[in-house]
Parts: sequence; C-alpha cells; structure tokens
Amino acid sequence: MAILDALDSLGARPRRGYRQCEQVLAVVEDSSAVPRGYGYQVLVDTARDWLTQVPLIDGQGNFGGQGNDPPASPRYTEARLSPTGQLALAAERGELAPVPLGLINGNTHRGGLRPPFRPQGIIDAIRLVLRKPRVASGELLDTIGPPDFMTGCTVTGDMSALYAGELMELRLESRVTISDEASLPDLAGLRRPDAPARKRAVLLIDHFPPYANPDETAQSLAERAEQRSWDDDHPELRRATRLQLRNVMDLSSSRDGIQLACLPDADADPEQVRDQVRAVYGVWVGVTIRLRRPLATTIRQWVARNRDKDIAGSLAALEQAVAARQPY
Amino acid sequence: MELGQPGTADFPVVVFAAAILAAEGASFILVGSAALWLRGEEVSVGDTDVVIEPGEANLHRLHDSLKTLATHPSALPSPRRLAMRSIVPVQTSFGKLDLLLERGRRDWDLLRTGADRIDVTDVGVLVASAADCHALRRRYKGW
Repeated sequence: MAILDALDSLGARPRRGYRQCEQVLAVVEDSSAVPRGYGYQVLVDTARDWLTQVPLIDGQGNFGGQGNDPPASPRYTEARLSPTGQLALAAERGELAPVPLGLINGNTHRGGLRPPFRPQGIIDAIRLVLRKPRVASGELLDTIGPPDFMTGCTVTGDMSALYAGELMELRLESRVTISDEASLPDLAGLRRPDAPARKRAVLLIDHFPPYANPDETAQSLAERAEQRSWDDDHPELRRATRLQLRNVMDLSSSRDGIQLACLPDADADPEQVRDQVRAVYGVWVGVTIRLRRPLATTIRQWVARNRDKDIAGSLAALEQAVAARQPY
Repeated sequence: MELGQPGTADFPVVVFAAAILAAEGASFILVGSAALWLRGEEVSVGDTDVVIEPGEANLHRLHDSLKTLATHPSALPSPRRLAMRSIVPVQTSFGKLDLLLERGRRDWDLLRTGADRIDVTDVGVLVASAADCHALRRRYKGW
C-alpha cells in the first residue's frame, strides 16, 4: 500500500504520466522505511501481468520476464497506478466501499497459500450473496469456479478439498501440442534454403504456469535429451529417463508469448514424446494451497462485514477497472 | 503422483532422480514416501528424500551429479558447504529431491544396517527399511 500511496502522491495515476521507479522508491523509503531493494521487488511483482489477476500497478519498461530475464534497474523503469490500483487505494482510504482484490489476486505470487480466482467469478459470487443471502454453497462455488492462473495454464487438483480450506497441492500444467515443422515459419531458419518444408512433428509448449521458469525448463529438456556417462551400463534407466528429443528451441516473441519448440527424434512417436515432456517438472509445477477457511464462508463473511457499505457501487467500479486491463 | 514414462514400469517419476544419482556413483539411502513405495506400501510419493553418506569424496560425486540434474545448478551449495548443511532441497526435472545431510552424518551406519538394494529399472538403489522410514517420519512429521 505504501507503493500505491507513493505513486498517487507523485501524480502517477491512470491516463496520466508514469514516474521513474527510483523516484517512487525514494518516496516509499521516506514514508515507510521499506528498503529500496525489497520495495522494488514488490513493485515489480505487483505490475507483472502474469503473476496477478488484476495488477495494481501499470509498469513501463523492462519489468523482466517469466524466465531468467531480470527487471531493469529502477532508474530505467517507470510506473503508475493501474485503474484497479487507484480503486484499491480509494477503498483503503475509505473513499469507496471495500473491493475484494485479496480474494481475486490471492497471495501465491508472494509465496502465500491463497490462489487467485477469476475476477468476474468473485464479483458475481458476492452479488449472488447480496441478492440471495441463503444461497447454497454449491451454487456459490460454481459461480466462482476453480483457481485461475493468468497464463492460461491448466489447473488440476482436489477442488473440494481446496474449497473446504484443506491443505492441498494444485498441479499447474503448460499446454503441450503437436504441430509440424511446415506450419511454423520460425523454424524455417533451421532448414537449408533449398530444402522443402517437411511435415515432421514438433511439440509446442506454451501457457507456462506463472511460477515456472521457461528458460530453466528449456535447459532441463535439453539436458534430459543428452547422452549420459552411464547410458551403456543402464539402458533401462536411459529408456525411462531420456527424452526422445533432438532439439529444443525458444520461439518466444511479443506476438505469441512464451513458446518452446521441441523436435522429437526422427524415429520417435510424437504422442509418446508429448507424454514424456508433460511429466518434466517446469512444464508442470505444483503449488501448495490452503484457504484460511472454506471459500463459501469467506465470501459470506466478506459480505456480512461490508453489508452496510455501498458494495454494489464498488463492485461495479471494480468490474469496469478489470475490463480496462490489458489481457495477458 | 506422476508415474514413469510410457513403456517403462510405473515408478513415480521423482524416484528416477535417485536412480540417476545411484548410476552416477553417489552413495545415499532412500527414505521417506519413495522408499515406502518401493517397499510395496500404498503411499503417495510427492518428493524424494535421500540420506547422504558423509565423506568428502561422496559429496564431490553428489555435487557433480546434481550439476546436471538440478534445474537451477548455480544455486547448488559447493561440496564444502554441503558438508555443513542439514537439509538441501534440490529441484530437478523429475521433481523435488531433499538431501538429508545431517541425518547422514548422525545415522548413516544405523540406516545402512537395515537398508537393501532395490532395482529401479536396471539400477540398484539403497532403500532404508520400512521400520526406519516410519521411525524417521514419526520423529520429523509426528506420524
């Protein structure tokens, strides 16, 4: 909140100018004694659109990537409040009824145990409780839906345990699809200019979970395809662990986002290789989750705590702010 | 729990990290849920716990092996630091591997007495006795 305050005090609001992050951190340090290094880490995380459902900060410049690319120095990055950040600040100052941003964003992006949910799901669930205070928990949970991580990764796990507030592990999986070389113009550079495009299979990995590191995953995939000193002594172990890949390439671009291409060995069955690749940590990650109390109870308690305030008004403003964000 | 590659016996994937360590000559005893699974108990295997044999030469072998197994090799402690650490978690492409170093310094001989070699594919992995695994669990997790 100190960072949002600092941005506001510097006039870095939506549709107005950005401010240099170093300047923002100086204000934060003066007002709250938060050290610059930690403050910058929080600022960057709060602006990263693959980490939080509704980023409270709108960043400009190099805020780093999902892989090993770190953010630029605060001297070279700029920030301002996002529409949702401005709303959060207004709610915190009591100028507006509370907005359920904590329920939407969760805190797994900061090492916590609460996952993010679809913003509209939480908004609709709160409206449902306002309209029908005795609504069945099942209907409420159906409205919210499962946890929703911003990169479009697949989320699986025991949802009934999650909704009940039990400690559990969610599995977040990237998407792995089988395509062919001919349909990928980015692979054209690998062919001789006179060679015709071939229909050889390529595995494409995208929609990486937010807490996966695609650079490290590419490295792991490549390592697992290499020969090992014990290959001849332990052929069964080799068969069980070696990925049948001849190349791993990073096709990430600003247009298509993060994307890795894996070329299976010539004699490998692409579907079998896809199953191998899907089992590699980094293509999937596990996230430990525990809600403080059952989710339906949390929603009901949030409404009960704020019933005397203009929640309908703040939800409408939140809905508008969420709609204004750039999709990931 | 993630099971092995198609066409191989259905070992939990994370057990292969231990098999590779063994194939590369590191000396350790498998404990925890992976050990119990290999001993036929119906348990869910989340990660792999290995008790490391103390000694400089083994820590060097372990470190060399981990350099290719770890997803973040630059974060690995040096062999000298491994000798001073209690537990070192290592993320591998097979899942999480917990190196129990302090346990090795204290109980290696005791655990070794009850351990047997069990084949994971064609690699023999030293696995602690079920009684020792349960005793360790009771001590650390209160089960």
